[in-house]
Amino acid sequence: MMAADSDPESEVFEITDFTTASEWERFISRVEEVLNDWKLIGRAVAKPPEKGEYTTGTWEEKTKEINFADFKFSITHHYLKQETVESEGKEEPEEDALPLAMQDLLCMNNDFPPRAHCLVRWYGVHEFVVISPGTNCEAIISESKCNLLLSSVSISLANTGCQVPVFVQIQQKWRRMYAGECQGPGVRTDFEMVHLRKVPSQYNHLSGLLDVFKSKIGCPLTPLPPVNVAIRFTYVLQDWQQYSWPQQPPDFDALLAGEVGGVEFGKLPFGACEDPISELHLATTWPHLTEGIVVDNDVYSDLDPLQAPQWSVRVRKADNPQCLLGDFLMEFFKLCGRKESTEDILGRNSVEEDGKENSDITHALSKLTEPAAVPIPKLSVTNMVHSARKRIRRHRRVDESPLSNDVLNSILLYLFPDAAVDKPSDNNESKAQQSNPDGKTEQEKDPEDYNLYNQLKSAPSDSLTYRLALCICMVNFYHGGMRAVAHLWQEFVLEMRYRWENNYLIYGLAGGPPDLRCCLLHQKLQMLNCCIERKRARDDGRKSATAEGVRERKVSGCENGRLGPESAGSTATAGGMEVSPGKSWDSWSDSEDEFFECLSDTDELKEAPAEGERSGAKEASKAKPEGRLQPHGKLTLLNSDQPLYIPVTQEPAPMTEDLLEEQSEVLAKLGTSAEGAHLRARMQSACLLSDMESFKAANPGCSLEDFVRWYSPRDYVEEEVTDESGQTVVRGDLSARMKIPGNMWVEAWETAKATPARRQRRLFDDTKEAEKVLHYLAVQKPADLTRHLLPCIIHAAILKEKEEEAAEDIPSVRKAIQQISSLASKLLRHPNPDYKKLEEIINQIMVVEAVIARARSLKAKFGIGKGERGEDAEDLERFVSSLLEEPEVAVIGAGRGPAGSIIHKLFVSAQRLADSTDEAALLAPLEEEAGRGGGGTEDRKPAGGGGVPDFPPPAGREILLRTCVPRPAPYSKALPQRLFCVLMREEFRLAGAFSSDTSFF
Amino acid sequence: MDDDVLTTLKILIIGESGVGKSSLLLRFTDDTFDPELAATIGVDFKVKTIAVDGNRAKLAIWDTAGQERFRTLTPSYYRGAQGVILVYDVTKRDSFSKLENWLNELETYCTRNDLVKMLVGNKIDKDNREVDRNEGLKFARKHSMLFIEASAKTRDGVQCAFEELVEKILQTPGLWESSLQGQGVQLSDQQQSGQGACGGYCSLL
Repeated sequence: MMAADSDPESEVFEITDFTTASEWERFISRVEEVLNDWKLIGRAVAKPPEKGEYTTGTWEEKTKEINFADFKFSITHHYLKQETVESEGKEEPEEDALPLAMQDLLCMNNDFPPRAHCLVRWYGVHEFVVISPGTNCEAIISESKCNLLLSSVSISLANTGCQVPVFVQIQQKWRRMYAGECQGPGVRTDFEMVHLRKVPSQYNHLSGLLDVFKSKIGCPLTPLPPVNVAIRFTYVLQDWQQYSWPQQPPDFDALLAGEVGGVEFGKLPFGACEDPISELHLATTWPHLTEGIVVDNDVYSDLDPLQAPQWSVRVRKADNPQCLLGDFLMEFFKLCGRKESTEDILGRNSVEEDGKENSDITHALSKLTEPAAVPIPKLSVTNMVHSARKRIRRHRRVDESPLSNDVLNSILLYLFPDAAVDKPSDNNESKAQQSNPDGKTEQEKDPEDYNLYNQLKSAPSDSLTYRLALCICMVNFYHGGMRAVAHLWQEFVLEMRYRWENNYLIYGLAGGPPDLRCCLLHQKLQMLNCCIERKRARDDGRKSATAEGVRERKVSGCENGRLGPESAGSTATAGGMEVSPGKSWDSWSDSEDEFFECLSDTDELKEAPAEGERSGAKEASKAKPEGRLQPHGKLTLLNSDQPLYIPVTQEPAPMTEDLLEEQSEVLAKLGTSAEGAHLRARMQSACLLSDMESFKAANPGCSLEDFVRWYSPRDYVEEEVTDESGQTVVRGDLSARMKIPGNMWVEAWETAKATPARRQRRLFDDTKEAEKVLHYLAVQKPADLTRHLLPCIIHAAILKEKEEEAAEDIPSVRKAIQQISSLASKLLRHPNPDYKKLEEIINQIMVVEAVIARARSLKAKFGIGKGERGEDAEDLERFVSSLLEEPEVAVIGAGRGPAGSIIHKLFVSAQRLADSTDEAALLAPLEEEAGRGGGGTEDRKPAGGGGVPDFPPPAGREILLRTCVPRPAPYSKALPQRLFCVLMREEFRLAGAFSSDTSFF
Repeated sequence: MDDDVLTTLKILIIGESGVGKSSLLLRFTDDTFDPELAATIGVDFKVKTIAVDGNRAKLAIWDTAGQERFRTLTPSYYRGAQGVILVYDVTKRDSFSKLENWLNELETYCTRNDLVKMLVGNKIDKDNREVDRNEGLKFARKHSMLFIEASAKTRDGVQCAFEELVEKILQTPGLWESSLQGQGVQLSDQQQSGQGACGGYCSLL
């Protein structure tokens, strides 16, 4: 085929037949294909890796799947990403230079990397390929299979000329057994491995391992070149008793039994319940020894950790330490997925009144069972609620009620502090506006933090909504889960209704219309407050009017004694105020026949003469002005010299975002046609009409021009003209668009009756809107509630972490919090937040919490913050913070530096403690300076004097042997040889790389 | 036809009364000019689909009344807008000097802070200009807005204004995509990728 392709003219047909190729051949060609695809063929030009580059650099990997018959393998290329070496005059490497992997075997720049692939650790290579059985495929156990694979590798490498070492993984995966090969021009390296469960005693030290190495090399030279040795012992410290975890979980029982002020309800818990640092690993390293300099055999060892020239430390973090804030958030978040309604949870008849006969008995029972020790201060507002609540509770046994009275009372007090002290209710209006109890307002503390609510669409941190979120979160965690949530919510809704019915403003909400930057629940509560405010104003007006009315009635002897909206309404209608039929001016305002600020009949009667006069004489200018707010500058009416008054107007209806959404949908649905636009304008003109009516009432005898001068001044065009007498006068006129016949402004003006705002139909029906809100609140299930409040909880958690971080100053945490906030902001502003992603946010918050907890734990252990050591403190602090951020940190000064001596002491005390538990050596005094004099004592044997050794036996020993000798014959090329030995309690591993000259063999 | 629409964008038109907001919109949507267009009451609404850089976007444009009194009503509609066109009349100095108020209003009521703002100086066909082009430019630069002068009457700059605005919105990441690409937060010690039983990247213990 190839021949035919390359030489189409050829007369000879030569067919190369691959039809009978075996699976094995196919596998080999596939391996070659992959090596080709990854461009691993030929010699790469690269600098030898820099010191520490394996740690600082980026490791990358690529994976493909290949099959051997139907057996799946994955083939992975691991490599350290290096800047491409610029070919600045650097000549092509010599033909017979060693492959990079072989040079790596001897390179000492990256011994014992803190975190790397095990093959990197054992063989020092910075680029290699691994073939391992695919997931769910059985391991390669049998020797023949293993050899078959190695042969495939060998052939592929030879065929392609690839110089990257290729390994195959054999045995069970957990054993991390690899065999491999690397080929170069005339040279090859075999990678072999021994893995045992126990360390054979003859190899339990350096001298035994050197013997293995030498015999394996089998070097024929008699004065063997010296073997280079690097050693690292790792010690593990698990016992922290001396420096036990400082954080105590908060005591919630004490909290509730203590002050009933409930201040603690506003705080989220924070911190780990267990030590988030589980172990400290100390690695003592002798990086560069030559065979014969140190003695380490079965009876004696020079390797004293205190004397090691290099120390480095890593900490092992507890996996997912239990953290309070995280648990809180997660439990809260889980509620979002629940389906149950409040009724399902608390029982259907919880709000109905039946079974009265039980009430006394349960009441008596509750008296007996309730701990009466906590005195509850007398409540003014909530007292009334309590009576409502008692009605509910009667139907539940005390033990069925998820929240006890004490807990419930302290929560309600926290939520509604305005109810705590007996105060005239008038005070609570002013208090409701400036909601923060502790004097200094939250805004002043940190405006950026304060404004976080509008990023997260939550609620201000001093608002009722925010506090409610914290309470719901807390009762969910500590006081009975979802049942408690449902219970608290029910109480909350009751309190809302109570406040509506009794005209008490809801405490802790900013005044004014709903803040659309906040969560919907917050808007709903603000809406309710608006309703209460209006109702209150109306009731107050009615009250004073009634008082007046009583007085007046005596004088006028009015026959109509009835007060109230109906009578006022009828009088008003009689007064000629009926809505013009056929017009839809009012279609957008409420359709109830209730009037804004309804006044008593006497008021109407008082005005009756004026009205009569007006309607009779058609002399509008003589009508009595009503509802004036203030003069509008120095303007006077065009038709008279009366000042132009701005009227008292109705406030437009406050709206929550869902109402608004509904309304814009309605408006948008009218379409873009002229009729649609007209209808839309008409629907929105209720406000305009109302303003016109107020204006007419305040300015008897006014014209549309007057109205426009107040309402849309740019539509009243004034020009300087010279009149007949040659004098310049200013002449004004309506703009062209206002003069279009039949335009809506003119139309509305003609329809408008002179009616002051207080007698107009209400644009905003507070009764209806309040009932809508209360109904909305009542039907929220615990899950709905949680979803409403989730932004507030995330907000609170972020603030909490900011606060905790500020105490510790951890840059990475600061950055993480920033990222969490901006991601949360994106998610939460979305109309339908993605709850999967929000869960991710919570997880990230938990991670941050754990990091802060770890920082605390480490600082406690290294005695930071006690302010003892002057100049060392800064170094220590830096050391501790790098422990958090880096996988492994070098100890400056090794065992003699400030950090080193603390670590030493930690080990000593842990050792003593361990020892004292065995024997009754408790009385041994703990020396302050726990050194061992001159040192030099061996490690594996008890220190002289029968004392306890300072360090436990090393948990792991790594011994790296390297040399460069000719193999297999004395006249062969000198090639790198390497043996990496790992000695642990339950593992013994020898990973050897032995190179040989293949030129003449 | 709606299938190939990439996204629906909400655009607002705001500014003092009588500066020509509705006229600009009418010119853009119907390519007509009506010198006798009635003063808008509350808000009005128009829809138009346009193609920008090969992407079709459906615009839902909310035209608002400029009168002071309506301003208690109209800001409710600012919610969720991705773009806003702030109009002044180049022949009316006071319509220019009040721009600052409008921006404050926007700041207060808008739910997102990354919305794209465009400043349009209208009525350049008229002779009695009171606001110089450079002043408009300066204002726009100061508040990071797009800027163009236009005339709804002569159709100068109108189409261009809307197109530029839409283009800018489409270029702003996260402003219009309905699905958010969540980028994770990486803590320095969180990137362990222990895959495979070989432990991937491991230390001795």
